[in-house]
Amino acid sequence: MSAVVTVSGLRKSFQNEDVIKGLEFDLTKGKCIALLGANGAGKTTTLQMLSGLLRPSAGSIAFDGVQKGEDFRKLIGYLPQHPVFYEWMSGREFLEYTGMLAGLSKKESKERAEELLEMVGISNAKNRRIGKYSGGMKQRLGIAQAIIHRPKLVMLDEPVSALDPFGRREVLELMERMKKETTILFSTHILNDAEEVCDDILFLHKGEIVESGSMKELRDKYQQSKIDLVFRGESDQYIEKLSSLVEIQSISVHENKISFFVHNIDDAKHAFLREITDRNWPLLKFEISKTSLEDVFMKVVEK
Amino acid sequence: MNLWMVLFNKELVEMSRNFKWIWVPIVFILLAVKEPLTLYYMPQIIDALGGLPEGAVIELPVPSASEVLIAILGQFNTLGVLIIVLTSMGIIAAERKSGVAAIILVKPVSYASFVTAKWAAAMLLLWVSYFIGYVASWYYVVILFEAVPFIDFFQSFLLNGIWLSFVLTMTIFFNSFNKSPGVVGFITIAIIILLSVLSSSFSHWLQWSPSLLPTYTNTFLLSNEIPDNVLSAIIVAIIGMIVLLVCSISIFRRKELA
Ligand SMILES: Nc1ncnc2c1ncn2[C@@H]1O[C@H](COP(=O)(O)OP(=O)(O)O)[C@@H](O)[C@H]1O
Ligand SMILES: [Mg+2]
Repeated sequence: MSAVVTVSGLRKSFQNEDVIKGLEFDLTKGKCIALLGANGAGKTTTLQMLSGLLRPSAGSIAFDGVQKGEDFRKLIGYLPQHPVFYEWMSGREFLEYTGMLAGLSKKESKERAEELLEMVGISNAKNRRIGKYSGGMKQRLGIAQAIIHRPKLVMLDEPVSALDPFGRREVLELMERMKKETTILFSTHILNDAEEVCDDILFLHKGEIVESGSMKELRDKYQQSKIDLVFRGESDQYIEKLSSLVEIQSISVHENKISFFVHNIDDAKHAFLREITDRNWPLLKFEISKTSLEDVFMKVVEK
Repeated sequence: MNLWMVLFNKELVEMSRNFKWIWVPIVFILLAVKEPLTLYYMPQIIDALGGLPEGAVIELPVPSASEVLIAILGQFNTLGVLIIVLTSMGIIAAERKSGVAAIILVKPVSYASFVTAKWAAAMLLLWVSYFIGYVASWYYVVILFEAVPFIDFFQSFLLNGIWLSFVLTMTIFFNSFNKSPGVVGFITIAIIILLSVLSSSFSHWLQWSPSLLPTYTNTFLLSNEIPDNVLSAIIVAIIGMIVLLVCSISIFRRKELA
């Protein structure tokens, strides 16, 4: 499996403020990769450097099959976070125009524009001025222009963040279809969106990649089983006894709730319940749950 | 269609959608026609405005055709120049400011084509409007005053047009490193005024200055002789335009567009 693009030592500073602090990653061909991070993490800045709109302060970005100094732009498609179009053009005209700029012939461009207008679901508005489009329609038009020349890498900057739940659903489904044809790098601050369509995650925090890998790897790595217990009276007094029963990874106490993080949930469940019933402790609540990536995400972001 | 034509064509279509192809020529026609009409009807106008005090006698010499043409070119070189700057000060800057450039220039578009296509389209608009305006003025001058030989008309048209083209090219140049159309317009106008003042105060040193082209045009119309320094001013103007365009492209290429 080869990489579409390899990034190393990528940095960017604005007025001496380091915004991107040395990114190292590559994007595997055919994957859908989520660039996940809170607002201000540096997602937009990273994508703008990858698309050539910003110059890195240091580091390199190497596209597969592109020599140094060669134009890499035909290989990429890019949707800005807040896409702006020529308002006086119709959606169809804009797509045909960008198609031709990307190197398609006039005829190819026309055909591809029709096809994409259909695919992204705005073909009924294709002859209307873009100035009259809604936010959701512009977002779809933006996606269409990004993939019109069948680029090897499509970069979408927060394609669903500004949409209502319905529009969000549709754009995610659209990305699901695009995944079959190309490599996608899309940024989002919502883990759920990333989990829904993506294979891999790059987790960006304050300009650094704090975690990366496939969705499954990360889930396995961070998913822990958790047993929450609440007793009448002081719950603390039972901790010592319970934690001697099975192997415990960690314990956290929140008000009167004790949370045990364990490896083997079944053993722990049986041991705890047996002990509690044998000794007749005043149990009020017993809950088994799993920590999710969301918890990890929140933990890192709050730091 | 090759890429340059695609870009050029988009500019022409945009100019027609926002009616520049209509209003810019109309402004030039109005500027052109105003002078011959007011000069011709001056006595009647003065009369209609209440006339002169009893007994006052004012001799209004009938201006020559050349004088009228000079007055018209004066209009073109002030209000006309303002229109040129206003219509082109955002030609690149506005696209960067709005953010549409971020979509367009992520496509494999050559920066040279992008800049020169815009320049060429703006030049076409300028020359068409200027031509229509000047033909209209020629028509009125011939009807109301006296015949002007075609060759005089045509030479003065070209000579003064080179200065207008120079102004337009400067506007494009300032577009290449400035995101704000207002700032572009302001700088261009300031430079034009500065150039005009400098070259008329130090005209014996700056005889080759393109900003003297309007003065040379006037001299030509009055004396029917080509002034000595016209050629050097033309050459400097043309080289200047090429240099400005080349610089625009290389500055623009180096700019971060986000
Ligand atoms: N042109 C700029 N000048 C100065 N600071 C900037 C500029 N662009 C972005 N930043 C800063 O860089 C950080 C990352 O911004 P951005 O990449 O837009 O984050 P994200 O897209 O993840 O929300 C922010 O703190 C932002 O204020
Ligand atoms: Mg952003």
